[in-house]
Amino acid sequence: MTMYTRRLTKNRIWLGLSMGAAAFGLLWLVLILGTLIWNGVAGLDVTVFTRMTPPPGGTGGLLNPIIGSLIMTVLAILIGTPVGVLAGTYMAEYGRYARLTFIVRFINDILLSAPSIIVGLFIYEIIVVPMGHFSGFAGAIALAVIVIPVVVRTTEDMLLLVPNTMREAAAALGSPRSFLIQRVIYRAARAGIITGILLAVARISGETAPLLFTALNNQFWNVNLNAPMPSLPVVIFQFALSPYEDWQRLAWTGALIITVAVLSLSILARALTAKGVER
Amino acid sequence: MNALTVRATQDMPNTREKVAIRDLSFFYGENKALHNIDLTAYERQVSALIGPSGCGKSTLLRVLNRIYALYPNQRAEGEVWLDGENILDNSQDVNLLRAKVGMVFQKPTPFPMSIYENIAFGVRLYENLNRSEMDERVERALTRAALWDEVKDRLGTSALGLSGGQQQRLCIARTIAVKPEVILLDEPTSALDPISTAKVEQLIDELKRDFTIVIVTHNMQQAARVADRTAFFYLGKLIEEGPTSQMFSNPKDRRTLDYITGRFG
Repeated sequence: MTMYTRRLTKNRIWLGLSMGAAAFGLLWLVLILGTLIWNGVAGLDVTVFTRMTPPPGGTGGLLNPIIGSLIMTVLAILIGTPVGVLAGTYMAEYGRYARLTFIVRFINDILLSAPSIIVGLFIYEIIVVPMGHFSGFAGAIALAVIVIPVVVRTTEDMLLLVPNTMREAAAALGSPRSFLIQRVIYRAARAGIITGILLAVARISGETAPLLFTALNNQFWNVNLNAPMPSLPVVIFQFALSPYEDWQRLAWTGALIITVAVLSLSILARALTAKGVER
Repeated sequence: MNALTVRATQDMPNTREKVAIRDLSFFYGENKALHNIDLTAYERQVSALIGPSGCGKSTLLRVLNRIYALYPNQRAEGEVWLDGENILDNSQDVNLLRAKVGMVFQKPTPFPMSIYENIAFGVRLYENLNRSEMDERVERALTRAALWDEVKDRLGTSALGLSGGQQQRLCIARTIAVKPEVILLDEPTSALDPISTAKVEQLIDELKRDFTIVIVTHNMQQAARVADRTAFFYLGKLIEEGPTSQMFSNPKDRRTLDYITGRFG
């Protein structure tokens, strides 16, 4: 056997192994998605979006948890995005070489991988306990705490990708730092920053643990942020563990709705970054 | 020899000192990149800085608008006088300085916005123009940069869609639109093809009627073509400076001769 054919054989083996590993990973994803669709589609009709969660044995939909999830997600993004973008801006622009930036980056990375149940417990201690009751507001804050590190990280990374020559060119025209950042740097990094925010939305729309200790749940219509608020993940958690078959069916449908929503967001984020790179 | 002296004096019209660099040293951290430079750029003349890579010519250029101040650990010592004011003085506002001393970089750096907005960006910083005044300013800047005819029908489209040569002329237009007094050019043609290079060189010739120009170039023919005066740098020191024709025909220093005849660098 010549050296060349030996290498060819080795190459084939490696190729086979890596393709096998990829297929193995994909298989589970396909199985999960398949099971979700198989079990979820059956219950997917208009009433899911128009009716409240039913008592066991009754008929109903998921309107109140869908609305609750939307409210808390939007609020969390509204709170978390400005904080995250501004912090990322400080780290990449103003304080790129500052010691504070290294400290913040380190802590942010820890926060990024912190179990979300800890975030839930933390908010429980500082908001739910003093207020004396669970609330949608506390839920939104807990989600915001999860949003912030994601947005900080992507904002910083995306701003760092903007070449320094761009900063120099704008500064050379006599542009003050803040103007340069807002008008040139943000524009250059826009697609990436928006992608980060979308990924944060995707991340929190499936979170259950931080909501269990903060927003809890509510089987009725509620848009009052000062009261316990239902959300899709918590309802899925509750319904899926229940012994009632109709609840379990609704849980499958809810899971499908979340998955489709997150999948669409991820695809949108991908499309945006792809366009950003193309430019 | 006699003929050369005559040309040399012709090349040196009696003009005013615009930028006077006095005993300037520059440090990247602990590393001294420029050693006690004394050099003058005259009003409405083109001064070229030449020398091998790492000789400090770009560093010197970056002192003149204090763009180096964007980075920590970079420090200049000495004096740079612009119209009787020391720009290295702490009281100097760097943004106002940069509005007066424009800069065009080695690589074209269009902003991710329309052609029109690229020009208007700098103007808006210091002037409050109405729509028609701004239109006029943009047109004039693009015309002077010899780009107007190529882009007049697509001012609203992204500047990123222009060719490299067009982008560089856009950057020049952007710089002259804010009406600076001095223009710094940092190897403005090194990323361009020969035709675009010729256009930019022609442009430099035009621009010196209104602006004082300092250009860093790797290309000695370019320095010979566009510059009134040339300064040769080597290892962070100014070796020799004088009228361009004299520098290229009759340099005083051995190292200058070696460099311009291509023996190193």
